Amino acid sequence: MVELPVLVIGGGPAGMEAARGIADIGYRCVLVEKRMVLGGTPELANYAALTPDFRDAGEAMAEMAKAVQDDEQVDVRIGTTVRDVSGAAGGFEVSLKSGTGNETVKAGAVVIATGFQHFDPGRETQQYGYYEYDDVLTLVDLEKMLREKKVVRPSNGEPPKRMCFIQCVGSRDRQIGNEYCSKVCCGVAAKESIEVRQLLPDCKVFIFYIDMRMYGYWENEIYWPSQEKYKVNYIKGIATDIRKKGDKLIVRGEDTTMGRPMEVPMDLVVLSVGMEASSGTKEMAEIFGVELNKYKFIETTGGALNTVATSVEGVFACGAATGPADIEDSISSASAAAMKAVSIVRKKALAG
Amino acid sequence: MASKQNVEPERIHEKEHVIQEGMDISGHWNRMFEQRVIWDYTPELIEKVTDVAGGESFGACYQCAQCVPVCPVNIVGDYSPRRIYRRVQTGGDLFESPDLWQCTTCMNCLRVCPKEVDMMQIMPAVREQAVLNGYVPDELQEVFRNTADYGNPMGESPKKRHAWTKKAAADVPLMKDKKKADYLWFVECYPSYHPRGIEASVALAHVFDLLKVDYAILGPEEKCSCDSQRLAGEVGLFEECAEHNLKVFKRYKVRKVLVTDPHALNAFRKEYPALGGKFETIHYTTFLADRMDELGMTKELGLKVTFHDPCYLGRHNGEYDAPRKMLQSIPGVELVEMGRCRENSYCCGGGGGGMWLDGFMSDHVTMRLSERRVIEAVETGSDVLAVCCPYEVSRFEDAVKSTGNEGKLVVKDIIELVVEALG
Repeated sequence: MVELPVLVIGGGPAGMEAARGIADIGYRCVLVEKRMVLGGTPELANYAALTPDFRDAGEAMAEMAKAVQDDEQVDVRIGTTVRDVSGAAGGFEVSLKSGTGNETVKAGAVVIATGFQHFDPGRETQQYGYYEYDDVLTLVDLEKMLREKKVVRPSNGEPPKRMCFIQCVGSRDRQIGNEYCSKVCCGVAAKESIEVRQLLPDCKVFIFYIDMRMYGYWENEIYWPSQEKYKVNYIKGIATDIRKKGDKLIVRGEDTTMGRPMEVPMDLVVLSVGMEASSGTKEMAEIFGVELNKYKFIETTGGALNTVATSVEGVFACGAATGPADIEDSISSASAAAMKAVSIVRKKALAG
Repeated sequence: MASKQNVEPERIHEKEHVIQEGMDISGHWNRMFEQRVIWDYTPELIEKVTDVAGGESFGACYQCAQCVPVCPVNIVGDYSPRRIYRRVQTGGDLFESPDLWQCTTCMNCLRVCPKEVDMMQIMPAVREQAVLNGYVPDELQEVFRNTADYGNPMGESPKKRHAWTKKAAADVPLMKDKKKADYLWFVECYPSYHPRGIEASVALAHVFDLLKVDYAILGPEEKCSCDSQRLAGEVGLFEECAEHNLKVFKRYKVRKVLVTDPHALNAFRKEYPALGGKFETIHYTTFLADRMDELGMTKELGLKVTFHDPCYLGRHNGEYDAPRKMLQSIPGVELVEMGRCRENSYCCGGGGGGMWLDGFMSDHVTMRLSERRVIEAVETGSDVLAVCCPYEVSRFEDAVKSTGNEGKLVVKDIIELVVEALG
């Protein structure tokens, strides 16, 4: 029997890596991306450099995109969405919609790599003044400025002399509903703090945190250099009150190490927003009938030993579709999903 | 009316009316349980420290607080490297702060520090600048002056540096007369001049004589090794004394140096080589530990003894076993350890200039470090607190008196116990 292709949904880092992996081991793949470009959130949100290795994000995503586009085993469908599915593991029939019309493709297995979206800091509460004050940004906003090599206060176009990051915005919060740690924001804030200090050596940079979660090599690759080489100041205690005074922002909180309230003026405040399930993830879960966890990420069902299986046989998930993940995690789980998807296709073909 | 007079409205007004960078950020007085504090962070004061050669590692502190419980000054005061960093980060200028003079450079913080924040480099580097700027406690200034003028911190006559040898039973040869010897015994200041130091020197001379050690001392040609003055910020003075001593060592082609003082050991091993010193340095306990059976000690002392590890012998130079080996070889000595011993030994308070800062320190600690240590020694039920650093006999004897433990505990150099056991 002819081996069916694997359908990979999502053209971000995880989807592109899964597609490349499937092709590399000699199987066919259909890669579906609803936007008109590959590159996922790093491309959409104008990431400047990847964490933790500071590699140019645009260049890295372009390289990944080229790898799948140049591989004839990968059928890349941009501007395409998944509408419906029938069949089962080894023989799914998936209907796709694109600008040129509807089409049904056969697939032996499915990999969902629909990623995440950034937490909207104004959605639940106004405590950080994101929508009130021009000079309150998110990590994502700053990332775009870093990509343009121009970090300024939106209110007046001047480079900031003092700025701070506020960690855990939208993460680790029962009231907001995101009880999980978003994993990447500590590293991204430290990375951005280094980039700011490189661009603006006279700007004092502070990071207000609950605890810095710099697991593994991120500790010595970004956290320590940011403090030791780039003189970024880490202050334990989250500020939750930002007010405008004159042309400055007054950040109020408690310096927990000193056990005293603190109140400091800042030119720029950057909210270290976390990760939430993307709308694409929720839509695909509904179409394929895979279970979501309470945070609306795709629930993986294989425990610690299988990080890509879902509640539906033959449908796998990888990257930030399954929960907060950095690029390294996403690439690893994408390879795992590729291997498991191919094994379904192969077994089905062998069984005839 | 009386209570009203205690209130100074202008002051309250002033404290709460805060204009920062041209911006009024005033608030209500006493609106929290604690008076509201408005401050600014001062990363520039951290950089002021890290910009000094030797101060670089200060900026690496990430406030894990592992140094706090092991800091000997923290146990009797409000102090630790973590706190110093925080105070500097929140407006305190270390170059003008009393925090600058409380560190004894005991190295217990560096032992546990995951970021290798090195107070042994930071303190002398910042103190050097403070000394140049004239911010130095008077009592320390006097010690610097004495060392410069007389070659010893007490201001004793340099000519009488070997006067103690008259008390020794055996002949203590001078290098000047002997010209050549296998070992130079670098006696150092306290063992030359302090009455209790002299007693230990006399005992050590006796043991060297019994073992037929081919040695000589420098007498008036010797100057303070100056390590503690260096750590207290007088780097220039240290170099001056070191150059003098090295010149003398060279004249007598010295290859091996025996020292009584762990601070001299530290200077000779770690600082003198950079100035051209090429010789081996051995602490007297290391030298004697394997030769104790040659002495024929016969008298049973019947003593319970606890031992205080000198910071500069133990943590700084890795010798923990030799003094213990000596004590255990003495007949009738039962060695008991204090809770804080070996790598985690408590500091007597004398290092890094602390020897000369008791007056200054009394404003910052609830008791002297030496007093805290004596209490720990008494708790073991020991008859003797044995030491092998010349700073300690005087410090601990004072502390035995001031803590009311006279009659319970005596302080002795290990070498004094050895001589007692000779019968």
